[in-house]
Amino acid sequence: MRTLTKTWLAAVAVATLLSTPTMAAEAADLKDASEIVSRTNIAQYYAAKDGSALVRMKIVDGKGRSQRRQFAVLRRDKKDGGDQNYLVVFEQPADVRNTAFLVKKHANKDDDRWLYLPGLDLVKRIAASDERTSFVGTHFFYEDISGRQPDEDKHELLETTDTEYVVKSTPKSSKGVEFAHYTLRINKKTFLPSKIEYVNAQGKAYRLIETVKVDTVEGVPTITRLKVSDLESGGYTLSDVSHVRYDLGIPDDIFVETSLRNPPQKWLR
Amino acid sequence: MKRKILDFPLQHARLVFIGLAVLTIGFGSAIPGIQVDTDPENMLSENDPDRIFHNETKEEFSLHDLIVVGVVNEAEPEGVFNPESLARIHELNERLKSIDGVIARDVLGPSTMDNIEQAGPGTIRFEWLMEEPPETPEEAIAIKEAALRLPMLRGTVVSEDGESVALYVPIESKDQSHRISAEIRTIVDSFDASADEFYITGLPVAEDTFGVEMFKQMAISAPLAALVILLLMWWFFRSFALVLSPMIVAMTTVTITMGALIGSGFTVHIMSSMIPIFLMPIAVVDSVHLLSEFVDIYPKHPNRKAAIKEVVGDLFAPMLYTSLTSAAGFLSLMLTPIPPVRVFGAFVALGIGLAFVLTILFVPAYIVALPEKRLATLLSKKRDASDGGLLGRVVAATGAKSLRFAKPILVATAVAIAISGYGISKININDNPVRWFKPSHDIRVADTVLNRELAGTYTAFLVMKQDSDSEPEIVASGDEAVEGASDAVRAQWSSLKADAETESQQEASNVSDALIEAVSDLAFDTTGEESEQWQRVQTALEEAQTASKTFQNPEHLAYIERLQREAEALPLVGKTSSIADVVKTVYRELISGEEQDYRIPDSTEGVAQTLLQFQSSHRPNDLWHLVSPDYRESAVWMQLKSGDNQDMMSVKADLDVFLAANPPPEGLRAEWAGLTYLNTVWQDEMVGGMLESLMGAFVIVFLMMMILFRSPVYGVLAMIPLTITIMFTYGLIGLAGKDYDMPVAVLSSLTLGLSVDFAIHFLERARSIRRETGDWTETMALMFQEPGRAIARNAIVIAIGFLPLLAAPLVPYNTVGFLMAAIMAVSSIVTVMLLPSIMMQIQNWLSPKEETARASVEDPSAPLATNKEQTT
Repeated sequence: MRTLTKTWLAAVAVATLLSTPTMAAEAADLKDASEIVSRTNIAQYYAAKDGSALVRMKIVDGKGRSQRRQFAVLRRDKKDGGDQNYLVVFEQPADVRNTAFLVKKHANKDDDRWLYLPGLDLVKRIAASDERTSFVGTHFFYEDISGRQPDEDKHELLETTDTEYVVKSTPKSSKGVEFAHYTLRINKKTFLPSKIEYVNAQGKAYRLIETVKVDTVEGVPTITRLKVSDLESGGYTLSDVSHVRYDLGIPDDIFVETSLRNPPQKWLR
Repeated sequence: MKRKILDFPLQHARLVFIGLAVLTIGFGSAIPGIQVDTDPENMLSENDPDRIFHNETKEEFSLHDLIVVGVVNEAEPEGVFNPESLARIHELNERLKSIDGVIARDVLGPSTMDNIEQAGPGTIRFEWLMEEPPETPEEAIAIKEAALRLPMLRGTVVSEDGESVALYVPIESKDQSHRISAEIRTIVDSFDASADEFYITGLPVAEDTFGVEMFKQMAISAPLAALVILLLMWWFFRSFALVLSPMIVAMTTVTITMGALIGSGFTVHIMSSMIPIFLMPIAVVDSVHLLSEFVDIYPKHPNRKAAIKEVVGDLFAPMLYTSLTSAAGFLSLMLTPIPPVRVFGAFVALGIGLAFVLTILFVPAYIVALPEKRLATLLSKKRDASDGGLLGRVVAATGAKSLRFAKPILVATAVAIAISGYGISKININDNPVRWFKPSHDIRVADTVLNRELAGTYTAFLVMKQDSDSEPEIVASGDEAVEGASDAVRAQWSSLKADAETESQQEASNVSDALIEAVSDLAFDTTGEESEQWQRVQTALEEAQTASKTFQNPEHLAYIERLQREAEALPLVGKTSSIADVVKTVYRELISGEEQDYRIPDSTEGVAQTLLQFQSSHRPNDLWHLVSPDYRESAVWMQLKSGDNQDMMSVKADLDVFLAANPPPEGLRAEWAGLTYLNTVWQDEMVGGMLESLMGAFVIVFLMMMILFRSPVYGVLAMIPLTITIMFTYGLIGLAGKDYDMPVAVLSSLTLGLSVDFAIHFLERARSIRRETGDWTETMALMFQEPGRAIARNAIVIAIGFLPLLAAPLVPYNTVGFLMAAIMAVSSIVTVMLLPSIMMQIQNWLSPKEETARASVEDPSAPLATNKEQTT
């Protein structure tokens, strides 16, 4: 099996080499998969310096039963592709209103995460574990929301079409991940992914993230509707982003534990 | 009419053979299209309310049938919690997921479950319990300790004593369980030899494996029985050529009947797989009577055709009656509410009718067609044996003794009936598909070991359900909130409702969610008074929605908690699991990780937020096995240590008492589901149904007997052997402590059908001989010659013929083998010993009645009246 894969990879490599002359015609095309992925990471997770948005998620299970989550999110980047801070405050359903997450995302070490549960009057730190746990019961993983570090995977440019780069990413360590690899289709202009397909150890695609809608907000191409599907159970989560605003000048000092209990209303919505 | 039937095979032997061959090949060709169905669930009809609810529950909570794989290590001090064993378990856990038909995302095992724990002060952590196998003994023990802290895992995935592990493998369909369990076995067998023992069990495996083995048995037991019967007949009749004819009758009857069953599109269920075994003795019995009489008469009648005619003429009536009564016995099964039993009854009855026709048509044709040489040997051999040899002497002696000791025999019978009656009162109605295997079978062994180590491998669900639909209530609360609002707001509210309705029909969403979303947007986008009005509506809708989530309400969770405590106090319940356990566990880890915080939070919001945390784990969907996403329906999992229907019933009865004394909070209704429970439902219907059908058959047979014998006294006499046989065999089952289960229940109809046979033959012959001799004493002496021998031969052939079933690895087959022997022995002994004694005691009643009966019969072709003319 392994030999087969190698042969196949070799064939792709040869094909890529052979097609080099035609590709040269489009001078703008990038050839380095890592660079493409790194620009995607910035386009998707580091738009502008800061931003706020309202996110509505509809969770639909394989039987068509639905649930909703609605939260406001504030973000401020320290450095593109580097550290950034998030504050997430829940609005719906009403019984989890004001539940809040504070995330200090670090590029080179585990994120710092806090949680506030108003119903229990409790602030709790969430210890680092793998980041492929569900995000509040949706089909998104925590990592889909906060972004996966590009250097955790080996990237390989499979194909460059008229509009897209197709990159295959294989994790450097299988620890903490449930996929064997995933394939990204990335828009050449916006560098936003249009489709991410996850393949398991059995070689089966089991999970799909699709960009349904992209809007240009304040000149920034922004994904406003994203769908993640669990291909095994048939369930999916649809995420709609609205009220997007960029470069508000959100101060760094609101990303502190005290904001969990008293969210900075000024910046929310 | 009868004469024509009798003459037909003698004149058209070739036509009979060709016809039979065409029928057999025609119907037999349908057999390869066999559709096997081993699912006991199908004992209930498709629209049985319990079955419908069970399947709704499975759908609602995404529940699948589970194969249980247990790992036990008796050699290591920490059991399987050592690096080597856990490495194997980890590999098994991973490889299980890629077996076709396994629902990988729902596999329960240490490698696929989450651990929720405190990670230092003020910190909570979710991580895989065993993402990688541990490297040191300390790490292995840490895994054990983590698992034991989690109530959802303790007793289920990890044994209470912390030494064994179990994996639960959900499968897409029950009929795959045998194959999947074999693939699991292959994985396990590929591991290096170690002290780890792997056990595979679970109701679906037992049920499916039973089906597979059952069909093996059909291919082994039935032919083996046929072979033994053939050999025995050969021994009795000394002519292989001759005894081949009953075998051909039996084989073609079975082939045509099964072909008809399969060809008409019925699945072959556990019940119908027994049709060959039931039909074989019935089909053979008539032919044995025929042959038995033929070999006795033939030496006196050198004319073969005349001899056959006489024999068939003599036996036509009793054979017709026995076939009709046996068929009635099985047709009575059509009265039961259980579809496979009805199919079984109908086709066995069909087979009985067929066997009668074939016996009447084929056997005479066969004998006529035999070369003279073959019969000549029979003639010479049979001459010495015309007194019946050893068997004949025994039968004659028994007859003589039974007449001399008539009174003691009657007393002994009365005592036997009394004891049987006591035995019947001791009958234990119970069934458990796992017990259909012998105790030494892998599945039984696994069942015993795992139910000792773990909380229980049998699951049942108590589903708590809110009856009403919450959506209209939520919308109504919005209506109320807009009452005082401006016209504009009210008009907009109406259009919002219409939009939400449309949206909910077009895509997966709730009306209330869509309304809340729209209203909250309006509250945000508008200003001043209008915004406030919308905020009020939003608040009202939200409050109503929160209130609708029944199983986020701490009071309702507390009720479930009480119910679980009550259930766990029952010795048969190893463990229960519910949403309350999830809430308490996550709450404990959120607060302190200490035992005192293992409780339900005080507010609905507290519960909702605790559950939001659970949903941030690797397996958020596990929640939906315990509660529906609208939180209006909740399932309490009961793990039982025994799958005996009786035990399930007793758990249900105890909890019903609790539910009656402590009714669930308003609007909640409790109902049972789960395979273990479902088995009790059809058992209940089966036992009730069987009793009813047995009673019905008894009455019908009694009426038939009175009509056929044209005498109430003979009718009563004919019922005596079967009544005693049924009482005796069931009394024996009661006294032996053997459970009255599905196979035993079905056998009652066979008992009725078979044991009446001998009585009919005996009475019918006795009556005709009496007419000839005019004296009862002389009649009885003659009865113990050839008619007695025929009964004895039959009884021995069938009883011994079915003994090979005792060697089968499946308990129901053993039961059938044993009971068949018992039925034959008891009914023949009762017929030969008790009937003469009774008849001698009441001969004054018998004779005058008979005279009157005969006088009243004008029709000379009436079966009972015509017999004698032919014999003389």
